[in-house]
Amino acid sequence: MTSETQPETDATPCGYTEYREGPAIDDLPATGVGATGVDAAVWDALYAVEDPEMPVSIVDLGLIYDVGVDDGLARVDMTLTYSGCPARDMLQNDVREAIQAVDGVEDVDINLVWSPEWSVELVTEAGKENLRDFGLSV
Amino acid sequence: MAATEIELTPDQRLALETELRTLADDEFVIAERYTEWQVHAPTLESDLALANIAQDELGHARLWYDLLEELGYDETDLLWERDPDTFRHATLSELPFPEGEWADAIVRSYLFDVAEGLRLEALEDSAYPAIADRVGKIQREEGYHTEHAENWLERLATDDEGGDHLQAAVDRLFPHALALFVPAEPVPFGAETVSGDGAGSQYTDADALPDAATVEETIVSEGYRSDSLATLGERWLDRVVPTLESHGLRTPVPADGEITDELVPDACGRNGNHTDDWDTLYADFTHTYRELGREDATMIMDRPE
Repeated sequence: MTSETQPETDATPCGYTEYREGPAIDDLPATGVGATGVDAAVWDALYAVEDPEMPVSIVDLGLIYDVGVDDGLARVDMTLTYSGCPARDMLQNDVREAIQAVDGVEDVDINLVWSPEWSVELVTEAGKENLRDFGLSV
Repeated sequence: MAATEIELTPDQRLALETELRTLADDEFVIAERYTEWQVHAPTLESDLALANIAQDELGHARLWYDLLEELGYDETDLLWERDPDTFRHATLSELPFPEGEWADAIVRSYLFDVAEGLRLEALEDSAYPAIADRVGKIQREEGYHTEHAENWLERLATDDEGGDHLQAAVDRLFPHALALFVPAEPVPFGAETVSGDGAGSQYTDADALPDAATVEETIVSEGYRSDSLATLGERWLDRVVPTLESHGLRTPVPADGEITDELVPDACGRNGNHTDDWDTLYADFTHTYRELGREDATMIMDRPE
């Protein structure tokens, strides 16, 4: 991710066809920075959800690819670190419960996406700090 | 966006389902076999390695079954209450391991993982976006499987006894590995996935289905997979035969490299004919489901609408 802030007018259409699941890798990690209103509250709720194995928020771990709230329906694109993750249902359940508790959200639609595939590059600086404190070398 | 939002003709859907069933079933069934090693592997290191590989393959099976679920099936239809004759994995995945034959696990994994790697390459640019979107994730997790198998091949081949065990495994498994490149007989659409006599209802009847070769042509012509199974099979032979020979192992491939149907077993899995060992394995992995009187797969949470 570049550190330069791109003016919004420079936004270009996503390179994928409309059917592709995930965002462009350059737009990740998605952290909700700049989000306002209900969106911001949803991001806050997601920050409170931790990975089941490590003391790090799933947002800082880079699992959340996109969030949008539209007319009470919160849509989340998220991935998992590992296709064989045994906590897939559990994690989605945690996400659902966290978001459902947000004022202004009535329904939650979680979309699991696999592209771009998650890697440690998607962990935020804050997430890397947490992981280092936990004893991982990242 | 869910794949179901892409309009598919019945022939496109049949081609997709056929491709997805072979991908998912191969992975699921070989994982079921690998897990048997968790009590038998020769070292803790090997035990962990195969357990990990099995977990990867189960994860990949889940990614492919997910796409079948988007076409209207649920996990019960796809695994726990599925007619065992409708599984389309190659028999390489289902064969039991002769007791204590670690060489079998290594040769099997080697033959399977090289084939899987080639298959995934041919799916990288799939015209079905949800397939293409999964390939990178799976490839990232697959690399070490082949490395693990090659490393052990080399180790076992360094002495005569190991070489004999490897040769016996190659003799036993190679024909069943060729089955990986046999076009699969399509499976009728589940009645629950088709509305009334709407599009695709004709394909709920097995007799109305096109044959395996026709479906294979559709898979390639629609761009779901970029290369035919025949092409992938040639690439596979070009890679595995010289490697096995470099370890002093013979394969049943004749000197002219020509693979004939006689080399492929009648019960090859892809055609719906399985070995008797499949019945036993199927009964084993569905045992708990049946014993507990389940009617659906238990979930921690409800599936989103």
